[in-house]
Amino acid sequence: MTDPKFGDIVDTNFIYSNEQRAVRKYGDSEVQVSGQPATYHAGDVVHLPYKSTETSTIEAIGLAWSGYANGVAPAE
Amino acid sequence: MTFGFGNFNSFDKNIKDNGYKFKPISNEFGGSSPESLYTINRESCWARWRRGYELATASLYHNSFDYPFKYKIPLPTGVPGASGNQPAIPGVFRGFPTKNKELGVHWAGVRVAGSLRFDNVLDTNNVRASISSVTEDNEFWYVQLAGTWSSTNPLPAPLFIPIAGTAGIKPTNGEVIEDRIIEPEGVPISRATINPSTQTRYGYVQAVLADVNPNTGLLKLRKRGSVEATPDQVLVTPATRPPNVGRYFMTGTRYYCTCQDFTRRQYAYVSSLGQRSGPRFPKTGVATLKPGRYEVMTEAGKVANQAMTSALTNRQLEIVAPTVEYEIPPTTAATSSTKIGATRDNPGVFSDFGGVYLRSGADPSLPGARSEGLPDFEDYKAKDNVITSLTDRWSPTLDEFRYCKHIYSMKYEEGVFPPEPSDIPVEIKDVVAWEQNLVDQVEKDQEGAAANINRYGLAYMDIPPFNCQSPMMIQMMQKLFNIPSTFVKLQNFTMYDKAGRAYTPSQGGTPTT
Repeated sequence: MTDPKFGDIVDTNFIYSNEQRAVRKYGDSEVQVSGQPATYHAGDVVHLPYKSTETSTIEAIGLAWSGYANGVAPAE
Repeated sequence: MTFGFGNFNSFDKNIKDNGYKFKPISNEFGGSSPESLYTINRESCWARWRRGYELATASLYHNSFDYPFKYKIPLPTGVPGASGNQPAIPGVFRGFPTKNKELGVHWAGVRVAGSLRFDNVLDTNNVRASISSVTEDNEFWYVQLAGTWSSTNPLPAPLFIPIAGTAGIKPTNGEVIEDRIIEPEGVPISRATINPSTQTRYGYVQAVLADVNPNTGLLKLRKRGSVEATPDQVLVTPATRPPNVGRYFMTGTRYYCTCQDFTRRQYAYVSSLGQRSGPRFPKTGVATLKPGRYEVMTEAGKVANQAMTSALTNRQLEIVAPTVEYEIPPTTAATSSTKIGATRDNPGVFSDFGGVYLRSGADPSLPGARSEGLPDFEDYKAKDNVITSLTDRWSPTLDEFRYCKHIYSMKYEEGVFPPEPSDIPVEIKDVVAWEQNLVDQVEKDQEGAAANINRYGLAYMDIPPFNCQSPMMIQMMQKLFNIPSTFVKLQNFTMYDKAGRAYTPSQGGTPTT
């Protein structure tokens, strides 16, 4: 991925082959899993480059804790 | 020779004893203490590690029951709404089909790496908190963050939150952090990323954030268990070098699980649906009823412990402590209250074992790390019938808990499966035969559990995000997201279906059929 966008996964251990997708089914049942594997997986790394004018995740978590410590409820 | 299976302590059924049943103490009113070997077998990390590997390789890698999500973090009342890209936590709920929970699925949670980035940590002059310099001693690296920090301009939240009259709180202590951001707003590097100016791989260092000094901007990173991605694209531990000056930290992958083993709880089976033949109301023996804290979920002041609600209904977590002295500090939980005689029991929801098992080391536990040994057991302490300290699920940081097999399984899938723990259970007469039995049994169990899910489980199992404020899940949400539980709002979940399409349940969105 040469030019990842905001929210893209940039590192993952989940790379399914066509053969792996083809054998996706539940146990011995005939029910097959269709579609692509899920968006996020355990161990994925995401690209979240917030600009300085935006509220980043780490900043929002800080605001949540500060709000909680000061008795301020989250906005509806 | 037959080999036992199904419980963590049953490695050989030729040894007959009631102590092999999975329960903490069976002699409430006299009798000898449970034999220590049973405890060692039952609580060993090795058993969970081995079963986790089997669980991952048996079927889950291909058939994972994943519910990916993006959680938009609500801002406190009065704070202007965010513009542009919204502050969000990406992750995935991983369902583990099981026969041991009445609703058919254990839910684990993953907050993916890169969620929190230090290039968004600014001082009052808007200087980004890159790694300015690093010093060290035998145990820690001391990382100086760029910026101007003092008692009047301390490190910002969530690294440090001042609270009048107290020392303040540091919610990020215990996070696993990695120096994988080369430039502000840049893409996190991977093990394979090559530095174009040198044509060698960048590499990075991962370590546990042990503490912060808010007044000096100093981060204290634990060397033990640190991991280095080398220029050869290999992970080694401990790291041979400190974090790189000039880079920015980001958080690593974070796990939690709601299974009985990880949470040290027994569910209440009150459903007559599915595999259960009838309601089984929970009870705790009088002699094992321990003083301590318990949680209830309330809605409009009334107890609301159901598994799911609509995506527009929000409940509140309340923690009840036996005395004011043991109320939950603001570092860990939201509302708390006192009730004389409070115990670690919540009849109708779950009965509690009390106490917690902690990992024997604080290592991130990656390949090559020091092997884990027997976990430590922490419980309340009392002297002269007076409680002197309480240790429960709210006290340790997330990665201090002993992993369950589900977390080991996800670590395998991540590619960071830890080395074999050293506490292999005793009295396994033939480990080869036992393992073969494990392989066969896990495959059979997974097929059975998956078939049950397909047959009727999907009709009544609890589903994220509708279950995210159930008593079993709310702890996970708070600890996984590292935000107060009052900031866990169901309407803020955006889910992704199998085609990667986003939908918002609170707005009536549904996955593609």
